[in-house]
Amino acid sequence: MNTREIKIYDPTLCCPTGLCGVNIDPELMRIAVVLETLKKKGIIVERFNLRDNPQVYVTNKVINDFLMKEGAEKLPVTTVDGKIEITAAYPTNAQIAEWYGMSEDELTIKK
Amino acid sequence: MIQYNPAEQQFTKYIFFTGKGGVGKTSVACATAVNLADSGKKVLLVSTDPASNLQDVFELNLDNKGTEIPEVKGLTVINLNPEQAAAEYRESVIAPYRGKLPQSVITNMEEQLSGSCTVEIAAFNEFSDILANDEKREKFDYIIFDTAPTGHTLRMLQLPSAWNTFIDENTTGASCLGQLSGLEDRKDIYKLAVNTLSDSDLTTLFLVSRPDETPLIEVERSANELAELDIKSQNLIINGILEQPDNNDKISKALYSRQQNALKNRPQSLLNMQTYFIPLRSYNMVGTANIRNMLTEDTAEQLEKIETIKNDFLNIENLIDDLYKTNKRVIFTMGKGGVGKTTIAAAIAKGLAERGVKVHLSTTDPANHLSFVNTDGLSVSHIDEKAVLEAYQKKVLNKARQTMGDADLSYIEEDLRSPCTQEIAVFNAFAEIVAMSENQVVVIDTAPTGHTLLLLDATLSYHHEVERTQGNITPAVRDLLPRLRNPQETEVVIVTLPEATPVFEAERLQQDLKRAGITNKWWLINSSLLLTDTQNPFLKSKAQGEKRWIDEVNKLSEGNAVVMKWESS
Repeated sequence: MNTREIKIYDPTLCCPTGLCGVNIDPELMRIAVVLETLKKKGIIVERFNLRDNPQVYVTNKVINDFLMKEGAEKLPVTTVDGKIEITAAYPTNAQIAEWYGMSEDELTIKK
Repeated sequence: MIQYNPAEQQFTKYIFFTGKGGVGKTSVACATAVNLADSGKKVLLVSTDPASNLQDVFELNLDNKGTEIPEVKGLTVINLNPEQAAAEYRESVIAPYRGKLPQSVITNMEEQLSGSCTVEIAAFNEFSDILANDEKREKFDYIIFDTAPTGHTLRMLQLPSAWNTFIDENTTGASCLGQLSGLEDRKDIYKLAVNTLSDSDLTTLFLVSRPDETPLIEVERSANELAELDIKSQNLIINGILEQPDNNDKISKALYSRQQNALKNRPQSLLNMQTYFIPLRSYNMVGTANIRNMLTEDTAEQLEKIETIKNDFLNIENLIDDLYKTNKRVIFTMGKGGVGKTTIAAAIAKGLAERGVKVHLSTTDPANHLSFVNTDGLSVSHIDEKAVLEAYQKKVLNKARQTMGDADLSYIEEDLRSPCTQEIAVFNAFAEIVAMSENQVVVIDTAPTGHTLLLLDATLSYHHEVERTQGNITPAVRDLLPRLRNPQETEVVIVTLPEATPVFEAERLQQDLKRAGITNKWWLINSSLLLTDTQNPFLKSKAQGEKRWIDEVNKLSEGNAVVMKWESS
């Protein structure tokens, strides 16, 4: 299995699914579910919430530089092996599947 | 029923007074604290009420750290203002990042930490800290809590067990509670707080009520709900009983028989509860001297000369006429619980309906009174928090079902168990009701003050978030705040009583409305004895005491104050 290290840096969220927000954001739900599915396969995608882990956004130089330059509007940011790959959006299922060398179907297993 | 006397009472270390706002639980808690301190005990009095009036009672500025009361040796008072606690928590979280993260991020963080979740968590945090504090336990003989209004109290008391279960059951490790960094570390403190509350060797609960039908029904509900939370050491205090009627005075007789009827017909389960009473006092519970005397004697100064009052106050018809003429679409009645805002909302709705307006009446009060109110010829609804939460959960799950399978749904369900989901659910329902003003006038009887403030606060943060989120916003939510802020469309009627606490309280509410950018023109003073023709010296003295509060409200409202007569039913 591919061992690429993927990290997602969220903006300040109430919770990972955004259900506590004004409305239900399908994107947030999709990504939360995909990450949960990966976790069940033993793949941990680290995910940070600016509200809970602001220190991470300060100490990680790549993220901090990006933030100070672009502002919070460009969150969420996804890094692959420490390099910023996606900004202002979550990775698509296709992208995640490609990074891990699996098929998209594996990310949305329905029981 | 025996008279409540702290000197003859065996107390546990922790004493809770709870009840609907306006029943006098602050006064009873204070009187108990003062009497115990006077008997040489070391006493800590704690208010967890978001709309606390301990400051008014002691005529002192209080804080959440503890203030020794100069006139009462041995008494320390802590005022837990959840909003202040939340602000302190917010600052402690954000301060280290100023200058190290972009300003937009700092602003965003502030916004996120302004929600009702944060306020509740911050309040509970302080609350549990006191319950779990060894130093305080050793230092004080008694720790007395003047808790928040019923609905809020229940929520707060429900939190520990809800959270314990939540933390235990939350297998995904992701939740709305994540905002409290190091929550797991505090688990033991929360657990201790829960155990302390349900341990009858440590904790006694006094439910405080007025000798009136509605408060007694409410107190029974609280008693049952608390019993379900394993808080079973319960006593009832009925505050403000008129011991002897004046048979020469209509009002005194009416008051007496109304009270006696309410007492006689009180719910069955209350009859089995240890019950105490406190006589009706003719003075307001402000200042240490009055508090000291409350449980022992009535110090009503005999009135030398009874002032005649010229009744040139505005009446409710003036108010309804103004609402009608200015074509208001959304009308709120706001105020502390027990001031009769549901009745007033119903009267306004009815008055408008009689003028040919299509009216919808709704309440967000967790303790729904509408079944007690005559609402002929109107459409009526009420926001039932529990039902609304279930509906919201269902809606989210249905939406989720379109994109995911059952296994994934369980993850979503997990998140829907979080405490803040409730707030959101209620908010959405609230927005839907206000949106009904498109084709009719909407009259809303809001929940008790603390709750109302939080709701409006949520509205405020919500609004900013709406602008930020690109998600699919319903028009109801999108239009809510602009609508509330439009004085052409919306009127907030602040309902209060001609007494110290309710007026102080209402004044704070007015300030909070201002902060939220919501205009208020009308005030209504309910249940005024001054407008009755009582000749009973005791009631007259009480009525005279109302005058300064009516004057005060007239000032606060710039002359737009309606006064309503005390009614026997």
